[in-house]
Amino acid sequence: MSGLVREIRFLASDRAALLWLGIALLVACVSVVLGLREIATQRVVLNELIEIDSAEREVLDTLYQDWGDVAYYTFHLTWDSPSDFAFAALGQRDTSPWKHQIRALALEGQIYETDAENPDFALIGRFDFAFAANLLAPLLLILLLHDLRSAERTAGRYELLSATAASQGSPWFARAALRVGALTICLIGPLWAGGLLGGAGASTLVPASLVVILHIAFWWGVCALVDRYGWSSPVNLTALVGVWLAFAVIVPAAIKISVESIVPLPDGGEILLTQREAVNDAWDLPKAATMEPFIERHPEWADYTEVSQPFEWKWYYAFQQVGDQTVEPLSQAYRDGRIRRDRLAGSLAWLSPPALAERAMQALADTNVAATLTYEQRVRAFHKALREYYYPRLFRGEPVSTVSLQQRPQFRGKES
Amino acid sequence: MSNVLSIAREESRLWLRSRLALFALLIFAVLLAAVSIATSLRMSEEHRERSEQQALAEETFLSQPDRHPHRMVHYGHYVFRTPPPLAMIDPGVDSVTGQSIFLEGHRQNTAMFADARAGADLGGFEGLTAALVYQLFVPLLLIAIGHGVFIREREENTLAPLLAQGVTGNELYAGKWIALAGVTLALLLPLAIVSAAAVVRGETLLASFGVIGLYALYLFVWCGLILLVSAMVRSRALSLGILALFWLASALIVPRMAVESAVSAMPAPGKIETDLRMQAELREVGDGHNAGAPQFMQLRANLLVQYDVERVEDLPVNFRGVVSEVAEADVTEVMNRFAEERMEFEVRQARFAESFGWLSPVVAVSAGSRALSGTDLATHHRFLREAEDVRFDFVQGLNRVHAEQLAYNDDINRSLNEEANRRTRMSAENWNVLDEFSFQPAAADERLARAGTPLGMLSAWLLLLTAGGVGAARRMQP
Repeated sequence: MSGLVREIRFLASDRAALLWLGIALLVACVSVVLGLREIATQRVVLNELIEIDSAEREVLDTLYQDWGDVAYYTFHLTWDSPSDFAFAALGQRDTSPWKHQIRALALEGQIYETDAENPDFALIGRFDFAFAANLLAPLLLILLLHDLRSAERTAGRYELLSATAASQGSPWFARAALRVGALTICLIGPLWAGGLLGGAGASTLVPASLVVILHIAFWWGVCALVDRYGWSSPVNLTALVGVWLAFAVIVPAAIKISVESIVPLPDGGEILLTQREAVNDAWDLPKAATMEPFIERHPEWADYTEVSQPFEWKWYYAFQQVGDQTVEPLSQAYRDGRIRRDRLAGSLAWLSPPALAERAMQALADTNVAATLTYEQRVRAFHKALREYYYPRLFRGEPVSTVSLQQRPQFRGKES
Repeated sequence: MSNVLSIAREESRLWLRSRLALFALLIFAVLLAAVSIATSLRMSEEHRERSEQQALAEETFLSQPDRHPHRMVHYGHYVFRTPPPLAMIDPGVDSVTGQSIFLEGHRQNTAMFADARAGADLGGFEGLTAALVYQLFVPLLLIAIGHGVFIREREENTLAPLLAQGVTGNELYAGKWIALAGVTLALLLPLAIVSAAAVVRGETLLASFGVIGLYALYLFVWCGLILLVSAMVRSRALSLGILALFWLASALIVPRMAVESAVSAMPAPGKIETDLRMQAELREVGDGHNAGAPQFMQLRANLLVQYDVERVEDLPVNFRGVVSEVAEADVTEVMNRFAEERMEFEVRQARFAESFGWLSPVVAVSAGSRALSGTDLATHHRFLREAEDVRFDFVQGLNRVHAEQLAYNDDINRSLNEEANRRTRMSAENWNVLDEFSFQPAAADERLARAGTPLGMLSAWLLLLTAGGVGAARRMQP
């Protein structure tokens, strides 16, 4: 026990160590505050948009007397509310859409639109807890540990300290353990404070803390390994920063290049072009060429496929649907490709602990690639529900009525 | 002068003999070469692909059969943002903004399919480019080999003899500077080679030299800092600690803090929000598809007076086409106003973030690099504006065909009568209202002007650090 007290006293008088720990605490606090604020802003923006969106629909509902016009002009907002833990890892919410407007036309022409933030900022990235814990913290740990032994060696106390210690290495272990522990607390403390403030439960905070601890432990191991060579402090530091560079930058970059060449994606532009051709060709084709593939999907409307005039809305929406059907294989391949890329990146991330930790936190925060794909599926499901709502009204030629409009599906945010 | 050169020579000789320095240099040489080659190959492949897609999109549009011109308005067209030659060094916002826009009547679509959304996610630095290596990681190498340039003389007890021989502080500083600057210039070699390749691909010499000069200036700032700290501090460990702290702050923390500050100082409304707010104004303009809308009554009356006829059917022009043309112009005016507002906002945000270049040379160099390479926000806005010009021109060209060549009676009966419908199909020759599109970044001098502020910031950094370093070297005592 007295050994621990002595080490704490020793740490308290080590100004450099206090500086690095202070920076760690500061960085973690700032990242948590910024993350919480960003999530709060996103929630405010969503609430405002939801309000404007429904007000806008109320105006539109009075304007059109034809279901075709109603479906053509009415946009619906869809959104992906941030989870309570999203503040810690903003992840894909930085570059991928979390709000989207759609209408009942062909979906493939709409779903890839994005409401992006300032591209200059998406490029640099945000200052969230995941960044502080996964990229900055290892560097701070390196700075804390690189000269534990070598500084004593330089000061000429190394032999004495080693000789008087009960067992070889133990004073160094205690000293390092104390620093590692202090750093971990500097990180996890603000995370818990922010998490409890933001409403995140133990179910995310505990695993996230575990990720931080394991990740820090890995870097402690690296530092211990380099320490064994007995180099001088500057050489230790240079070597350790080199290891950081390898694990945090070079390996991820190499993984990205390999993943993207192993799993090619169909060109996004091709999806749009194919869809556009299919939709536009329909205008010049016999009506039956549209209606046949349409009723394959919707046999319930087989008795209503008679199109007698050059233009009828039901035919118009039928070829919108057929346009989507035509690009289905491509669109599915694009989606599958993204899933496969993400899975492969997930497996290869074991080669880079910082990448692994980042991905783990994004998974906990529901801000990873899988979450954006899930959101996309929810938009697709909602679009399908809209179509299924409009089809009976279009095909049976029902009049537009307030009662009928009230039955229209509403997008609902996910339960959080 | 001979003193200066011999100090520089001695320093380089020591680096070449130090296995650590040599090893670090070697690793960085390989890294720089590999990343430069990878970035160059990727961006030239993108250039080829997008140019081909652009040509294909134009061909497809022009080869459409005879049809109603308004159908071509909605058939629409695609434009692609081909990356400029210097994107081989700094792809800039290319990966986070979409590369193509679908152009159609009465709508301004966003750019779609950004690489960043379909790529593998590995936590922050996976999108490594040559520019990023120079901006973030080459300074680490310079720190590793340069942090002890003055301290070494103390440690090896060579400082006293040097000073006793009459070597002045200025000479000492100049010698060390030349040694470190020599390494820097050697490290800039891959950048120079890629810049030369960019010139071969049509980039101007001014911009290419601008990029090389910018990075040289930036790395010299780091040399200045390293020399200053090394001259002021007595132990290697402390020198390394200070430099590591500075790197941590300026490379990793300040850039992201700049983003956070800009976002919170001026929160920008999103595209959907803008669109929703725009809807009310757009409704006032009226829907160009509906020539009977109240908004067009005045237009109708004016036309009847102008041509001195009683009925719309007797007008020498197709009233529906005229409405389309007028409505498109009005709608575009509204959309452009909102779009310009949004771009203006983004520019102000970016400028705010850029001002953090006074705190971190990394922020300055990255802004300057994107501006010079033609891959910055302003270039993306230029793309959006040019795309809008193409959109407006072909849509209005088609609307004029609609107004002038298509009979009104056929037009109103086309949904009821097959014969009339057939007559509304205009000859495909009319589709050549579409202009060829080939995206080019702004002229080199304009880009250089945009990089003016970052260049000024870096010059100020260099001046300040060099003055401080020379002062510290002069005061050096054994």
